[in-house]
Amino acid sequence: MTPVIRLSGLLLLATLLGAQAKDPYIGSQACRACHVAQTQTFFRNAHTKADRGCESCHGPGRAHVSAGGKKDLIVAFSALSSRKALDNCLSCHGKDWSRNNIRHSSHTQADVVCSTCHSVHQAATPKHLLAKPQKELCYSCHPNVQSQFSMPFKHRVNEGTVQCADCHNPHGAPAPTWRMGQRPRLQQHAQANEQSCLQCHADKRGPFLFEHAALRVDGCGSCHAPHGSANPRLLNRPVVFTLCLECHNGAPGFGLQGQGIPVQSASHNMADPRYQNCTTCHVKIHGSNADARFLR
Amino acid sequence: MNRPLLGLLLGATAAFAQPAFAQPVVAPTPQRAGEAKGEDLAGYNIVNSIETGYRFRTVEGNLGKYRSDVNFGNGLRVLGSYLTINSKKPGSGKLFDEIVLSTQGLGNDPYQFSSLRVQKDKIYRFDSVWRWMDYFNPALPIANGQHGINTSRQLQDHDLVLLPQSRFRLLLGYSRNQQDGPAFSTLQFPDGRGDEFTYLWNVRRTRNEYRLGTEFELFKTRFHVLHGWEYFKDDTRAPLFSPGAGANPNDTATLTRFRRDEPTHGQAPYWRIGIHNEARKAFTFDGRFTHSTGQRRFVVDELAIGTGRFGAAQNRQLFAGGNARRPVTTGNLTLSWFPLERLTLTNHTALYNTRMEGEGSYGEFANAVAGLNYLNFQYLGIRTFANLTDANLKLNRWLGLYSGYHFSERRIASSQFADPDPPARLDRAEQTNRLHSGLLGLRLQPVKQLRLSLDGELGRADRPFYTTSEKNYHTLAARAQWKTKRASLLARYQTNYNLNSNSLFVHSARNRVASLDATFNPKPFLTLDAGYGHTHIETVTGLAYFSLGELIENDRSLYRSRLRQVRLGAQLTLARRADLYFGYHRIQDAARLGQSLMDQAFPLTYQSPLARFSVQIHKKLRWNLGWQYYNYREQRLAWQNYYAHTGYTSLSWSF
Repeated sequence: MTPVIRLSGLLLLATLLGAQAKDPYIGSQACRACHVAQTQTFFRNAHTKADRGCESCHGPGRAHVSAGGKKDLIVAFSALSSRKALDNCLSCHGKDWSRNNIRHSSHTQADVVCSTCHSVHQAATPKHLLAKPQKELCYSCHPNVQSQFSMPFKHRVNEGTVQCADCHNPHGAPAPTWRMGQRPRLQQHAQANEQSCLQCHADKRGPFLFEHAALRVDGCGSCHAPHGSANPRLLNRPVVFTLCLECHNGAPGFGLQGQGIPVQSASHNMADPRYQNCTTCHVKIHGSNADARFLR
Repeated sequence: MNRPLLGLLLGATAAFAQPAFAQPVVAPTPQRAGEAKGEDLAGYNIVNSIETGYRFRTVEGNLGKYRSDVNFGNGLRVLGSYLTINSKKPGSGKLFDEIVLSTQGLGNDPYQFSSLRVQKDKIYRFDSVWRWMDYFNPALPIANGQHGINTSRQLQDHDLVLLPQSRFRLLLGYSRNQQDGPAFSTLQFPDGRGDEFTYLWNVRRTRNEYRLGTEFELFKTRFHVLHGWEYFKDDTRAPLFSPGAGANPNDTATLTRFRRDEPTHGQAPYWRIGIHNEARKAFTFDGRFTHSTGQRRFVVDELAIGTGRFGAAQNRQLFAGGNARRPVTTGNLTLSWFPLERLTLTNHTALYNTRMEGEGSYGEFANAVAGLNYLNFQYLGIRTFANLTDANLKLNRWLGLYSGYHFSERRIASSQFADPDPPARLDRAEQTNRLHSGLLGLRLQPVKQLRLSLDGELGRADRPFYTTSEKNYHTLAARAQWKTKRASLLARYQTNYNLNSNSLFVHSARNRVASLDATFNPKPFLTLDAGYGHTHIETVTGLAYFSLGELIENDRSLYRSRLRQVRLGAQLTLARRADLYFGYHRIQDAARLGQSLMDQAFPLTYQSPLARFSVQIHKKLRWNLGWQYYNYREQRLAWQNYYAHTGYTSLSWSF
């Protein structure tokens, strides 16, 4: 479409509609004259349901049209401050549970707001209107996480069956109910208030008669690297017994019996390889109903 | 071509050009058949593409490790499919206005996925996700490989929202999680100092969750109320079995017959209530309250028959039963205040309280004579209070400052029977830890294309629970991003350091991450992508253990990792009909293999080049061909090494 035709269209619209009431809204039809790319397939877009069409998000458009498309007379998200962009989206999307706590999210604190990840007009995914497929989007800012998911042992994010948002809520999460209640890392809470790992690994949830306190106090991350690891079972260490002994060293502290985290039994001879595989005997290491030492 | 149409074409290309550069698995093919704009039919617009083909693999080396890491096999697959149906006029569809269906790997791939959304404007929205994951793990370094697993897991999540655009919404949901398959475990016989025997058990776990809730608006405040019911069943059992020899050749104990049933059933109903208010421009708040009451009932019934270490016949029967409970309550409140246009203050308060308690009975018969017989009781309570305050100040268009002060206090209390033999003594303990941390950040945007940020955090805890927990730590992070329409460059550096010391033991952990990633589109038909990153981890922790009957207290556990990642990708579109992709990904842990078991490193190389070709042979048909190679090399357990060629050929068609 040449600029002359576009201008003529605009003038015609302005003449026809300008005579009508002073309603600052002009309707989405007027937008189509210039914004062909944005409007042609907009029927596929969830925002098509908005009551005022384009003007629901971009604000009243009559002045913008009358001025021949002047950018500062319309709400252009590319020109908004990050907080304003967030305010605009939350005016409708704030009602969803998943946006609870968005104002305090580490993404918001780092100026990562809705338009950073979502592309309303050029979405790569019809659901959630993401600017790129989810893992691409997250990896673009978190490349170290990408390398973790490329390790031999990993959750199957690259394979497509697990997604970042299964465990994380990018909009914000409340303080974690594990560790010290700080550094939420946007972790989605399982059920109502537990670690996201337990959504799938329900058998580790318990409750158990004998809990392994590490899980409940400092969380699964005490022993596991959740994204990926070179070690089986996503463990933090390649050698199992050192992982256990780093805490079970009898250091004065709390421990379940107030005498420190128990040091291993004197009957265990660590020079013997037999005792170097703790979980061969302590099989129910996440918690047991029959044995305080997690032997069955 | 005029600009709007070019924009439309580029937009459609962006929408249909799927991921190219995330260490992709070679299939499914990202390019779809058919026209991006779709076809119109009976008031709907339809876009669809389905890819069917044959996947193949050859493996040299350790097949078990390959199955653990990659696991793609041979056979016909519906590698991927995509379907969208949208009503051309919003709200005009009779039963639905939108259907979005995508699938991946159906027909025996180890990782299968499908996602469905169906919605009718203002009436309902239904979302459904179904997944299947095969899990195979020989786990050689764990329990000497005696804990191998070959299970599959199915996950389903279904959510229905009624009246999705109204001020009152009704939420219904159902999730199911099922794990089935054989696995190995071990037990000791005839007692806690006996030999270890491997036995087979059938894993059978099911979790069902039902949800019912509502979201509504009242006085310009949004409320969310949801009640969920979770039911869990673990019917894993070890049927009557004749285990083989024990793990230790010097131990003369034998186990000839073994059976164990240990069903655990329970439920965890929960409530969550949310409140969110964005009505005022200068002040917003949201709150959250949750409560769940988990409960598990269990019995253990075990029979083990064999001979003891001196050859005497042993017949051990064991019964345990009881109940465990864990109520959890949390409350969260976030207040956000915008005193100035450029200033945001937020305060988040969190309260978490849980207690884990249970009681059970345990009885044991050795050769039909009652042995151990006692009651168990354990209590563990955790109460955490956290208050996090953050301020964000945007001084001008190019400069922003961030600061925060976070405080939390956690009290842990426990009591348990210290000695199983009567008279039992109840031990009680309590510990309180306080953590103060301060945060500072700087955001710079000197020009539109360039964003810089610097962040730091300093934390001090007075009594962490574990030697490895965070005590005196700091974090520094820097990040620079240059982004234009044709190119982007991201550089990132982060270092974390934690020192946890007490009178006898020191834990010191340092973690450094640096990465550089670049994407470049020199021409519309060519995209180049490259990335390099390294992660260095070093930890030193004091150890105490017994060796030859002597307590060793001055040893150290060392862990070193020098992880390096290289990633390259190039995508070329030829004559608008054919797409060619080359990729290479390499992970290497370059740490030197340690001299002892306490000096831990895991040197390995894992690399994976891939190539994929896709050509449009008809308006609605594409032919695809791909190859991916995996090469795994490690130094510690070299017998786990393997290399594998995987590939596929397929047709993508649109109907």
